[in-house]
Formats: sequence, structure tokens, C-alpha cells
Amino acid sequence: MTSYPLNPTGNISLPARRTQPSWGKWGLRFAAIIYLAAFVAVPVIVINVEGLRSGWELFWASLVRPAALNAIWLTLWTAALMTVINVVMGTLTAYVLVSYRFPGKEILNTLVDLPFAIPTLVTGVMLVLLYGPQTPIGSFFDKSLGIKLIFAPPGIIIALLFVGYPFVIRAVQPVLLTLEPNQQDAAQTLGASDWYTFRRVIFPAIRPAVVTGGLLSFARALGEFGAIVIVAIRPQVATVYLYGQVEGGNMQAASAVSVVLLLIAFIITLTVDLVESRRHA
Amino acid sequence: MSITLDKITKSYGKQIIVNDVSLEIKTGELFVLLGASGSGKSTLLRLIAGLLPADNGRVSLDGRDVTDLPPQERNTGFVFQNYSLFRQMTTAQNIGFGLDIRKQPRALVDKRVNELLQLIGLDGLGDRMPWQLSGGQQQRVALARALAYQPSVLLLDEPFGALDVKIRAQLRQNLREIQKALNVTTILVTHDQDEAFELADRIGIIEGGKLLEVGTPNTLYRRPQTRFAATFLGAANLIPGQRNGTHVYLGKTSLVAPPQTDHLSGQPVELLIRPEEVELALKREDLQGQLVGRGIVQQVGFAGPFERVVVRLDDHNFEPIQVLLSPEKVRSLAIEINSPVWVGLRDYHLLPANCP
Amino acid sequence: MREITPRKPLHFFILGIALLYIAVLLLAPIVTIVQKALANGFQPVIASLSEPNVIHALQVTFVMTLGAVLLNTVFGIIIAWVLTRQRFRGRRFLNILVDIPFVFSPVIAGYSLIVLFGRDGWFTPTVFPIVFALPGILLAKTFVSLPFVTREVGPVLATLDTEPEAAAYTMGASQWLTFRRIILPNIWPGIMYGVVLTLARALGEFGAVAVVGGGIEGQTETATMFVFRALNDRNNVGAYSMSLLLGVTAIVVLIVMRLLRRSIVREQTAYVNHT
Repeated sequence: MTSYPLNPTGNISLPARRTQPSWGKWGLRFAAIIYLAAFVAVPVIVINVEGLRSGWELFWASLVRPAALNAIWLTLWTAALMTVINVVMGTLTAYVLVSYRFPGKEILNTLVDLPFAIPTLVTGVMLVLLYGPQTPIGSFFDKSLGIKLIFAPPGIIIALLFVGYPFVIRAVQPVLLTLEPNQQDAAQTLGASDWYTFRRVIFPAIRPAVVTGGLLSFARALGEFGAIVIVAIRPQVATVYLYGQVEGGNMQAASAVSVVLLLIAFIITLTVDLVESRRHA
Repeated sequence: MSITLDKITKSYGKQIIVNDVSLEIKTGELFVLLGASGSGKSTLLRLIAGLLPADNGRVSLDGRDVTDLPPQERNTGFVFQNYSLFRQMTTAQNIGFGLDIRKQPRALVDKRVNELLQLIGLDGLGDRMPWQLSGGQQQRVALARALAYQPSVLLLDEPFGALDVKIRAQLRQNLREIQKALNVTTILVTHDQDEAFELADRIGIIEGGKLLEVGTPNTLYRRPQTRFAATFLGAANLIPGQRNGTHVYLGKTSLVAPPQTDHLSGQPVELLIRPEEVELALKREDLQGQLVGRGIVQQVGFAGPFERVVVRLDDHNFEPIQVLLSPEKVRSLAIEINSPVWVGLRDYHLLPANCP
Repeated sequence: MREITPRKPLHFFILGIALLYIAVLLLAPIVTIVQKALANGFQPVIASLSEPNVIHALQVTFVMTLGAVLLNTVFGIIIAWVLTRQRFRGRRFLNILVDIPFVFSPVIAGYSLIVLFGRDGWFTPTVFPIVFALPGILLAKTFVSLPFVTREVGPVLATLDTEPEAAAYTMGASQWLTFRRIILPNIWPGIMYGVVLTLARALGEFGAVAVVGGGIEGQTETATMFVFRALNDRNNVGAYSMSLLLGVTAIVVLIVMRLLRRSIVREQTAYVNHT
């Protein structure tokens, strides 16, 4: 037993004591807080302070102007309609991407991220080229059906659908992937139809993810600018109105609308945080 | 003393995980901390390594008070249950990591890595990635990695927990040989009493964060001081009685009190009887140990190399007694259910009736 | 969930709807822009992209995007680390702050910079201008792409097995060394994925940059702002060419994203399969 070759070949000691960075922990925390404060908290505070600086009355007055109200209303209803369509189609796409085997699936799975990667301004350009008044599709809708696509709410909704498409898919897909196949099998052996299985077994499991994805795409739609400013500079959604006011130097009006948009966005963020933390609890 | 723990305490919130543990471990000793899951044994090991800070108490390694030192400066070797090899490094890089940290020359590192690979029986596999190794091989690499820089103590946290029975037995043997050859002071944490018996120079039994009892495997098995140790280390018959004078009284039966139990004189006690120390006979005079009384066989069952027999004693209302007999003995006594038998004891031990 | 090959008519119907939707919503616009931009071949595209102010716009876009990516990568990793590895009061609040740029309209972000640093702003800078200048563009791009690295690295860090780190500590490795040698290799794909997303977002940002940069030709004009101005100037060839370039870049980004995601998944499954 003494023939092991490992008996000490020299005294192996640790290098000299390094300073132990408990300051490192604090330093990192400090850096994170400062960065987020400077880049995120400050703009939020600035907008709110600026919006309310001249008092509630002026704030209210610049909010209830027809142009401002119309812009906010247009933003809200187009975003809401988009969210409804997007939740249905996004869930369906996620379902197809997870549960069906078909050629080209990998390409499709890549393609659905395109709206994340492409500049939204370019999205606007593409949509005008496809649906604009001079194009075959645009003129068909305009002349035969009397529906204007571009420079009208339908164009806004199409742009928002494009921009918001990946949100629901990317929220729902991972949850579907982790679903136990056994549950579906059990439901099927009990004689449940496909639709019943989806409604009672699959949907309850993905509901929080659907809500999260829907809310995120709604929030994104409220703030969307690049695609919409090309597709419909008029009628004005809130961000386009805001841009016009800033360009025109009308800071009070810009600030008031900003505060409202921020408030909605903030409520959505809090809701998402709540849904997510409950889901993971 | 190679490892000295002095009143170590650790809690999370209101829950005390490690409660006032003091312990001394000699150089070269292999000490096994045995406890159920949640007993605090792994936490204690992490406190020794400095991976967790202790709330109270001192830790000394090799006579050096390391209580306030971070894990980096305690010079321990730690082996984790799930191996925790660095998966982006080869086997050789894993083993050499601690030496690189200590800025050893390349040639020396290579030499020692090769020696260690030989020691653990994996020569030639230095270029493999961890995921190309079997579980048992990964475990051995983890051991070599922890030994490479000659730590002052080796700490093993359930090192064989994730392995199947056959490999486990083989690795225990290897560990024991390596540990003795290198004479490295070692603490091994496990919930498996067989592992503890096979490896330990001494065992410490931990329960609810408290170190209940420390002793050699033999002492703890045969002469435990606590009810918990008695039952945790194997099957036990516990029979209530009273020690008076030189005898223990169990109802109408009396037995000679075992040596070194005078301090229990005049107290209610529990008689600890290991099933393999119970004797059965057809005639009273065939018994070699102390007579307890007559009984009726209630069950006979197969238990691998032994037969498990359950006997209810006449004239007593305590629990039926568990007995382990060789199959040959069962045959020669022609034992079956409802056979009357004489019951005797070859060895027994006393516990105070109200001990933990 | 189990993957099945479609058999019943219902399966084909559902699959058909999904494919049709993707074709109409995503593919048709791309095909259109490629067709329009290349209507007269590559020559006009190359010509319009070689004009000096276009090249300048591309340079500005590239350099400012790089700056935003660098800042957000370094700080994104730090924030992810602090949020997953440290426990302190206000951590949850910090976690919510990270997501705000996702829902904060870029136009408002740009506007807040004007309020802060513009003419008659709260702190009008005296040394160098921020608004209608390059620093403003850098700030705007950094703001809009801030969450990505944190949001990609965070989950990886949170699910990373911490025992190899503990092993490294007991072996004497300092925290920095452990981070470099043990943790970084494991979170590397997550970082790269976050970097690619950050890059895409910063590159394509328009609203914030338009507000804060002002789009001064040859100075603060970025690639997306060039498209906007070209459209207004009826310079369709220029607008479509730049759109095509940005679109192609986006597709390259997509492919890189997919490859990275695949390598993350493969590494995880390789590890799981062998343990």
C-alpha cells in the first residue's frame, strides 16, 4: 500500500491571499442599479415630471384635444383587434410548429422570428409596396370592396400583426414543448375528441403563456412607430401624433400623450410580471 | 487534530439546519457523517468547506482556524454527488485545475495528472470529455481532481449516491484504498449505513442538525447511546424494562444487566436486541445465551441469506421479537408458523428509556 | 407534447391555415420588396448604396449599433448576474425595470432625451451636444435594445448548475477566474443569442433615433432614417435598395439566431444524454 506514486512531491501551496471581493458583489449590484437607473428609470421619471410639470389642468387640456384623443383611441382599438387575431393565430402557429411533423418546418420556425430581426420601418415599406393604392391588391380592395388598406386602420392592423406575430408564438411554444404527452394520451383513451382535448387539457396549461404573449404584443403595438409611420401617417396613432408634436415643438402635448402611453405600458409590464411569477411559483 | 469543529451552528430563517456541532477528527481518519436526507449532514460539509458561512462556531483545518476564510483559502478537496466536473474541460484539465490555480509548472502538473489517472485506473483517458465517461468514471475523475493539489482534508458529499449498486461497491473499495494510501483526512457524507460500516473508521450520526453520537461502527451498532442510532443503523428490537441492582427486569423475566450500564441502575430502560443475536431452540437446555422465555412463531419469511422469523413471547405483552436465523438453523428446528420455541439472547444492550 | 404526422383532414386544415397565414403575412411582403428593389437588376441598387451620404449613414448606423451592443452586453451580463445570483430588497423592482424598454415607445424614449439634453432641456450639455448628434443616437439605440442580453443570459444563469462553481472555489479559484473558466463557457451561447437580438434591434431602430437624431443628412442620418427621407424625397430606388440591404441583414441575423439556438439545444441535450 505504500507503493502509490502520489506521496507529496513538494509542498503545494495556494498563491498569496487575494483580496476577497465582497466589494465585488456590491460593485456589480451598484453597476446594475446605476445602469438601469440611468437608462430606464430616468427617462420614465423625466417624461412623467415633464408631463405634469405645468399642472393637471394643462395636462388634461392637452389630452382631451380631439387630435390627441382620436390618436389614443385609434391606437387602443387597432392594438386590441390585432391582439385578438394574433392570440388566435399565434397559438395556432405554435401548436402547428410543436405538434405536426412536416417538410420545411425548420425554415418556418426560423421565419416566424423575422419580425424580431427586420427593422420595423422596412416592414412598413414592404407593406406599402404590397398593399398600397397603386398595387393590384390595394386597388382591388379599394375599387371593388371600397376598403382602403394603406393610410387606413386595416393597414395599421396588418403592420401590427406583422410586428407582433412572434410574441405569442415564442411565449406559447416552450410551454407546449414541455407538456406531458401522457396527459393527451390519457384524454384520448378516455374518448375525448381532439377539440375537447385541446380545450380541457392543452389550453389550460398554456393559458398563462397565451396571456403573457398577448399582453406583450399589445404593449409592443402601443409603442410601434416605424412600420406605422410609413403605412399610415394619417389617420394618426398615438406615436405618430407624438412624433408630430415633438417635431412641431409642442412639448406639452407630447408629454401628456407620453404619460398616458407609459401608464398603460407600465400596467402591462406589472401584469406580465405577476402572471409570470405566479406561473413559476 | 486535522479537523476541529467547535459549536458550529447554521440556520435559515427560523429553521436550524446545523445545531451546535462539535467534533474532532484525527489525521488520516475516514469519518462518515451518517444521516437521513434533511438531517443537515450536507450543510455541515459545506460549512467545513466554506461554501456556506456558519452563523456561529469555529472550524479548524490542520490546526489553522479557517472560520473566516473563503472556500478558496481553506485548501479542501470536495467531491460532489453529481460529480460536477467542468464539462467544457477534458479529464486531464479537470484534474489539473487545482494545480494550475496554484501556479505549478506545466511539467509537474502533467506528471501528477498522469499519476492520478493511473491511481484511479483511467490511464489514457485524459483527453476524454466528461460526457464521454460513464458515471463511475466521472466519479473517479472528481475524486482525482479533489486530491490533485494535496488538500489538507477531503470532503465527499454522497459521492456514490447516483451510481448503481455494483459500481458503488467497487468504488467504495477504491476509495478506501486510496484514502489509506494517501493518508488524507476524510469526511464522507451518506445516508447509507452499509456504506458507513464498510468505509468508516468512525461514524457520526446526525439528525435534526444535531450530532447525536460518534463512535466506531462496531460500538455504534452494538452499544449505541441513543434510540435513533440504534434503529437507524439496522433492525432493532426495543423492549421496555427496568434496571435494578445487577439485573434488568422485563415483566416477570430478568436478565443479567450488560457491563457498563451501572449508571442506568434504578431507571426505566429499553433493552436493545439485534435480530441476529436472538437464539431460538426447541428445548430450553439447548439455549446458550440468556433465557427470555417461551414464545410462538408468528411469521417465517425469506430475507436473502437469512430467514426472518417473528416470535411472540408468552406472558409478555410487548411487541413480537424479530429474529434472523440461517436457513440451516430454520430447517434443523423445523420452524413453522405456530411452532412453540424457547427464546434466548446472545447479546443485548441497554438504553435509557427516555433517550432521543 | 408529441409530434405527429398529420393524417386527418382536420390536421391538414389547421396546418393549411398556419402556412397560409405565414405566407400572406411574412413571405408576401419580402417577395415584394425583393422584386421591387431588383426590378432593374443589381446595378441601380449598388449605385444608390454607394452614394457618399448613404455610406455615411451606414457608417453611423454600424458604429452606433456596435457601441450599443458593447454597452448592453457588458451591463446586460452584470444585470443578469445580479438579478439571478444576489438577493436584496428591490430586486423585483429592478427586474421590472429591465423590461420597460420592451414596452416603452421608442418615440417617447427619444423624446425624453430631448427633454433632458435638448435646447432648454434639464441639463443642456456644454462640452458636446447630445441631441441632434451622435451621442444621442448611441443613447437611443442603447435604450431600445437594453433588455435582450439580460433576458437571454438570465434564464441560463438561473438554471446553471452551481456545483461546478463551488468545486472551483474549493480548489482555490477566485471568483473572477471561476466566472471566466467555468461559468462563461456555459453561458456563452446565451450571450451570443442576446447579442444578436441586441444587434438586430439597435440596427433597425427608427423612432427613437428619428426623434433624437433629427436625421441631418451626412451627419446624424442612420440607415433607417435614410429610407424615411428617401421615401419623402420620392427617391424610391434609394429607399428600396436600403430596405433590401436591411432586410437581407435581418435574414442573416435570423439564420445566425437559429444556428445559435440549435447549438444551445444540442449542448443541453448532449449533456442530459450523458448524465
